[in-house]
Amino acid sequence: MKFEIHKLQVLRRATQIGVLLLMLSVPAISRYGNYVAAYDIDGRLEDWKGTLAGTALTVIDGTFRKLPGGEVERVGEMVRSREGVLRYAQGIYGGPWSFEIAGVSMSDPLGAFESILARKHVAYVVAISLIIPIVLTLLFGRVFCSWICPMGLLLELTDKIRSILRFLEIRPRNVKFLRGTKYALLAVGLLLTTITAVPILGYAYPPAIINREGHDLIFNAFDRAETGLSGLSIAGLTWMSLILLAIVVFEVLVSRRWWCRYVCPGGGLYSIIGVARPIRVALVESKCTHCSDCVVACPLGLNPKNDQMGIECDNCGACISSCHDDALKYALPQWQACRKRK
Amino acid sequence: MEHTKKKTAFDRRKFLKGAAAAGAAVLGTTVAGRFIGGTGEVSACIRPPGALMEEEFLSACIRCGRCGDACPNQCIQPFTEETSAIHAMKPGRGQRNTPVIFPRQQACMLCGAVDSEYLLCTDACPTGALQKTKKEVEAIQDQVKMGLAVVDKQLCYSFNGASCGICVRACPFEGKALRAGMWEKPLVDPEYCVGCGLCERACVRYPQAIHVTPRGVFGEV
Repeated sequence: MKFEIHKLQVLRRATQIGVLLLMLSVPAISRYGNYVAAYDIDGRLEDWKGTLAGTALTVIDGTFRKLPGGEVERVGEMVRSREGVLRYAQGIYGGPWSFEIAGVSMSDPLGAFESILARKHVAYVVAISLIIPIVLTLLFGRVFCSWICPMGLLLELTDKIRSILRFLEIRPRNVKFLRGTKYALLAVGLLLTTITAVPILGYAYPPAIINREGHDLIFNAFDRAETGLSGLSIAGLTWMSLILLAIVVFEVLVSRRWWCRYVCPGGGLYSIIGVARPIRVALVESKCTHCSDCVVACPLGLNPKNDQMGIECDNCGACISSCHDDALKYALPQWQACRKRK
Repeated sequence: MEHTKKKTAFDRRKFLKGAAAAGAAVLGTTVAGRFIGGTGEVSACIRPPGALMEEEFLSACIRCGRCGDACPNQCIQPFTEETSAIHAMKPGRGQRNTPVIFPRQQACMLCGAVDSEYLLCTDACPTGALQKTKKEVEAIQDQVKMGLAVVDKQLCYSFNGASCGICVRACPFEGKALRAGMWEKPLVDPEYCVGCGLCERACVRYPQAIHVTPRGVFGEV
C-alpha cells in the first residue's frame, strides 16, 4: 500500500509532463495535417530531415502510420493512407484550456462559464464540453491543478528553486495573502465578463496563456522551417509570456505558490465545484506523531493534521507521500474517523 | 487580557493587509484583463465560416485556438499585433487572440481538400462561436457569410483591356458567386458569395483588384 501511494507522485509528475508534451504536439500535429492535406508531406520530411520541425513530423508520421488504417497496400508496398492519417490528425485539437480528442470535447469550466455568461446563452456544445471536467472535479476536487495544469508544473519548479535558494543560505520571503482573493477575483471577473460581454478572465489565466503561447511557439518553429531557419525562437512568444514570468519570479522571491494559493480564479472555481468531493485526504490520528512534515510538504500551504482540507485541497497527495508513519491516506468520508476538533 | 488585545491588533493588521492585497489583485487583474484583450475600436475582420455576428462572437469565443488547429489550410490565425500588422490591422477591444482569416495570406478553402462531414473549424469550436456547418453546398450557402468580394474596376486587368479571369477560376461557387462576364470580367453575386477569399488569394494584381470586405463593413448579412 505504501509503495503504491509513493508511486502516485511519480505518476502525477509523469501525467503533468505528458500533458505538457501533448499540448506542444497538438500544433505540430495540426501542421502535419496541413502538409498531408496539401500532398506536401513527403517533401517536407525529405527537406527538413534532422531539423526540429522535421523530427517532429517524422515522429508524428511514424506514429500515425502505425495506428490502424494509417497505411494501405499499393503495388505490394505499404504506403501512407492519406485519409487514414488525416483522420488521426483531425482527432486532436486544443490544449489545457480547451481540448478535444477523438470527438470528446473538454473545456476549462472557467472558460465555459465565461462564454455562457458573456453570451447569456447556453450553447449545446459548451454544455457537452463541461461534462467531463465537472464530473471529475465533483469526484476528486481540484485535481486539474495538481495533475494537468502546465502552470502548476512550472510553479512546482519554483518550489525547487526556493529550496535551492534556501540551501545557498538565501532565504526567500514567504508573505501570506488572503485565500479569499481568488474567490473575489472569480466573482469580480465573472461579473465584469457579464457586463462587458467579453470573457476577460481567460486572457490572464495561466493555463489559457500557456495554451496559446505553446501554440504560437510551435507554429512559429514551423514557419521558421518554411523560411529555411531551424529550431525554436523566442520570437514565437508574445508579451503575454511575461505575465507567466512575473508570477514565477514573484513566487521565487516573495511568496511560495502565491498564484495557486491566493490568486488563481480558475483554481477558485474548481475549489467551489469540488467542495463536496467524496475522495479526500484523511488523518489516522492514532498513527500521527505530529512531526508536521506534511505541513511543510503541502504545496497549497494547508495543514493536513488539522482537518483544514476542506475546499482548497487539490488532492495532489504530497502530504501522503511525505508522511513517514502512514498516518495520511485517501479515504471516502464514511471511512474517515470522525474528527471534530476546535 | 493583554494577550487577547495583542491578538486582536494583529488580526486587524493582517486583515487590512490582506484586504489591501486582495483589492489590488482584483483591481489589477480586471484592469489587466480589459487591457490584455485589446483596446481601441473593434476592427472589421474576416471570421472563420459559421461565425456569429461580431459582438456575439466576441462574447462566445474563449480564444482557445481549436479552430486554428483544425483548419487544414492554415488560414485561421490568432488576431494579434504580430499576425495582423502586415495587413495594416490591429485587434480592437476584446479582439486579441480571436480567430481571424487574412485572405491575402491564406484563404478559406471550405475544407475542400479533406474528407469531412462538417467544416472542420466549426466542428472543433467548443463554444458555438462558430456554428456547426455541414460541408454541403446548401448548408454553406445558408450559414456561411464571412464577407463579400468586391472588385476594384480601376485595378482589375479584365476591366482594363486584358482578360484574366483567375479569380473566377478560383471561386468554389464558380458561375454562381463569381461569374465571368465579357472578356473574363469578374461579376460578383452577393447572394451566393460566402466571402471565402479564394479570389483575393488568387488575384495576380498587386494590390489585389478583388478583395473580401468583412461583413461588419456592409452591415447585416
